[in-house]
Amino acid sequence: MNRSAVSRGAAFEQLDLDSEQRDSAFGTGLRRADLAVVALACAGAFAAAAIVATGGVVGDPTAFAAVLVANIATLAVAGLAWRRGRPSSLFGYLLLAEGLLVFVSSLSGSPDSVLHLIGVLGVWATAFGATWLLLVFPGSRPSAAGWIVMGIALATFVAGELPLILTSPSLEGLTTIASCGAACPANPALAVHAPSVADAFRNVEGVLQATWGVGLLFYLATRFAWASHARRRVILPVFVSAAPLAAAFTLSAVAFGLAGVESSGTARAIFAGTRILYPLGFVAGLLLARAYAGEALTFMARRLVGRPSVAAVEQLVRRVLDDPQARLVFWLPRSEQFVDRHGAHVALDPARETVTWRAFGHGDARVLAVVHDAVLSEDPELVEAVGAASLLALENRRLERDLLDSVDALRASQRRLVGAASAERRKIERDLHDGVQQKLVALRIQLELVRDLARESGLWNRLAGLAADFDDALDDLRSTAHGIYPPLLADEGLEAALREVARRSTVPLTVDLADVGRLSEDRETAIYYCCLEALQNVAKHAGDDAEALLRLWRDRNAVRFAVSDNGLGFVPRPAHNGAGLTNMTDRIGAVGGTLSVRSTPGEGTTVLGGVAIETSDRIGHVVSV
Amino acid sequence: MSSASELPEYDHLYRLVVAEDAYLIREGIRSALERDKDEVEVLEYCPDLDSLLRAVEEHRPNVVITDIRMPPTNTDEGIQAAAAMRESHPEIGVVVISQYVSPHYALKLFEHGSAGRAYLLKERVGHRIQLLEAIREVAAGGSVVDPKVVDVLVEARMRAKNSLLSRLSTREREVLAGVATGASNAAIAESLFLTKRAVEKNINSLFAKLDLTDDKSTSRRVQAALLFIADSDLETGAES
Repeated sequence: MNRSAVSRGAAFEQLDLDSEQRDSAFGTGLRRADLAVVALACAGAFAAAAIVATGGVVGDPTAFAAVLVANIATLAVAGLAWRRGRPSSLFGYLLLAEGLLVFVSSLSGSPDSVLHLIGVLGVWATAFGATWLLLVFPGSRPSAAGWIVMGIALATFVAGELPLILTSPSLEGLTTIASCGAACPANPALAVHAPSVADAFRNVEGVLQATWGVGLLFYLATRFAWASHARRRVILPVFVSAAPLAAAFTLSAVAFGLAGVESSGTARAIFAGTRILYPLGFVAGLLLARAYAGEALTFMARRLVGRPSVAAVEQLVRRVLDDPQARLVFWLPRSEQFVDRHGAHVALDPARETVTWRAFGHGDARVLAVVHDAVLSEDPELVEAVGAASLLALENRRLERDLLDSVDALRASQRRLVGAASAERRKIERDLHDGVQQKLVALRIQLELVRDLARESGLWNRLAGLAADFDDALDDLRSTAHGIYPPLLADEGLEAALREVARRSTVPLTVDLADVGRLSEDRETAIYYCCLEALQNVAKHAGDDAEALLRLWRDRNAVRFAVSDNGLGFVPRPAHNGAGLTNMTDRIGAVGGTLSVRSTPGEGTTVLGGVAIETSDRIGHVVSV
Repeated sequence: MSSASELPEYDHLYRLVVAEDAYLIREGIRSALERDKDEVEVLEYCPDLDSLLRAVEEHRPNVVITDIRMPPTNTDEGIQAAAAMRESHPEIGVVVISQYVSPHYALKLFEHGSAGRAYLLKERVGHRIQLLEAIREVAAGGSVVDPKVVDVLVEARMRAKNSLLSRLSTREREVLAGVATGASNAAIAESLFLTKRAVEKNINSLFAKLDLTDDKSTSRRVQAALLFIADSDLETGAES
């Protein structure tokens, strides 16, 4: 043993702890602990064989030794498979413990009377163990019905075997394999020598043992019958491998115990075979559970392609788990609680017996949990597969939503910016109109009044010149204010404002303006300035002979506008949009609208845009000239 | 054809109600009208639409001078008041004073008829003749449009190629603009240094060219001319 091996082993343990000892170790090499189990099993099998072979007590020592060795081997293999395949389960350890009991039972081949007694008790313990394994599979505790069967088993010992031990001069194990006949050593626990009483108890024991076997068979059959479709596939191999064992057990009790039939070699071989093979049913069960989980994962993955809703994922989880009550709940890290898909708080109480849950996430961070029937805890691979698939699907959704959220946030901020800018322009326009212009107009009036008073012609002329300058200043102010924000747009809406634009247009312009009603201010402003910008582009770029058409209309979904000209046109190059086009796109984009520009050299340009109608938009407010 | 210039001066005492919410302008109007107090009597100054309509009911003035934009909504209360009075008191003349040069508002004022309506920019208030002329004109059922409003339109139209307006001769265009402001033939003749007869000739030919019907009523003539200048080139067949 060298140091590095030790530290590597420790590192493996650490890894195992990290993953909460859930992850199975299939596909990795045997670990130190596994090797120890294998060594122990080999040693136990060898020792058992040696005891039986050298004891001279058993009728057919070679056969018995072979059975013991094979039985220990299958239990060890099954135990190792479970311990590695489902580390969270105790079942693997139960299988290994059963192997240990089989070794103890080999002492019944010893000529020493005490060891023989211990061996006989070991045989009983082996039978209890096998019963327990079948009752609890794949968990670690039997159900109520399981306890009844277990009670019958214990009663068989207490009411049948125990009095037998106290009254019979020689002891034989339960099994037909280890019969020793005359070679049996004396019974060291003999209290009252009463062979007839012992025979009576032997009959009691036989009856009880048969009941035990029938009970076990019945239990397995009902369990299989009541199991869900999904679980039946897992139970089936165990049922198939355990039913012959239970049947042989029952028959041997009836035939050899009660009816007094002499056991034959064939009967012994069959019984031995069922004992050896039944642990392999557990291995097959485990493999089938994993195979089914894998299938479920594939099934889910195939249906989770695209963008399934949370409800759809939940439906799928229910279907795959075959649990109509199963739910997906989501962890809110900030408030540290689980909520269902409607956002309602879900209390996950660990004390509830019928329902349990399992959380999934990344490292320490929980993301969601699958709440499911407690029975499904026995299929952790399945729950794990389902949870992992749900996690992936919902993570994808969340990533996508985050992306959409950020796009929305960007658009909202763009909208706020454009909105703030246009609100500011409106405010400036108001200030100019109501403040500066009002004062200038008042001064202009006063100037005229003063001019009336001027009698001297020189002064009168000077004042007339001043009045003319005043008028120029007023004109400039008026057109500046109008350029900043057209009051008509705010007062009367798009149609009136665009008609006014057309009236003042220097490009020959025809209009086709429908009454589109009033929209929110930001959208009216966006459309207005887009049209203005497009018309300016016509004036600047379309050439001297260009004529333009300005259209505004409303369809079922949107208010649309188009500015088209028959001018020079250009070759559209999206990467080289001018500032004007970028402005237009930004403005329309900020209110969630669309804009497209089509142009062909020599055939003119069309700018086409639309902004969706919202329910708040008023219809009506007819403006006609 | 009735024209203010043909009315004997100082024959009337015009009874006025004035609506203007801005103090400075209101005081300007007060001082301006003070000069002509033997012809003009202001019965009440009102700060908003409601008080204007109440004062009209109370005083039954001949003429109302009103700001276009007043409380409560600060949009086009003056035009609303004019429309309301067209129904309730068709005999009352209305002079709307505005800071907007947009023809939209003038056209809107004339929407339900242009008789007895004037649209003036506010700075005209100080000009004794222009204000008084407008008062006389609307009191007599005539129409006045601020020349600046007409100029803005004509200017844009003239820059635009292929405009119907550019088919007119310069003289015809000037006469049309004069007609659009509400000036009488005599006034147009005076301002363009033409004979009254030459003006009439121009009017006949340009109305024929533009396919407009020459109406004997000044106010309807104004409306037709203004509408023509404002919108003649704009409409496609699809539009009402």
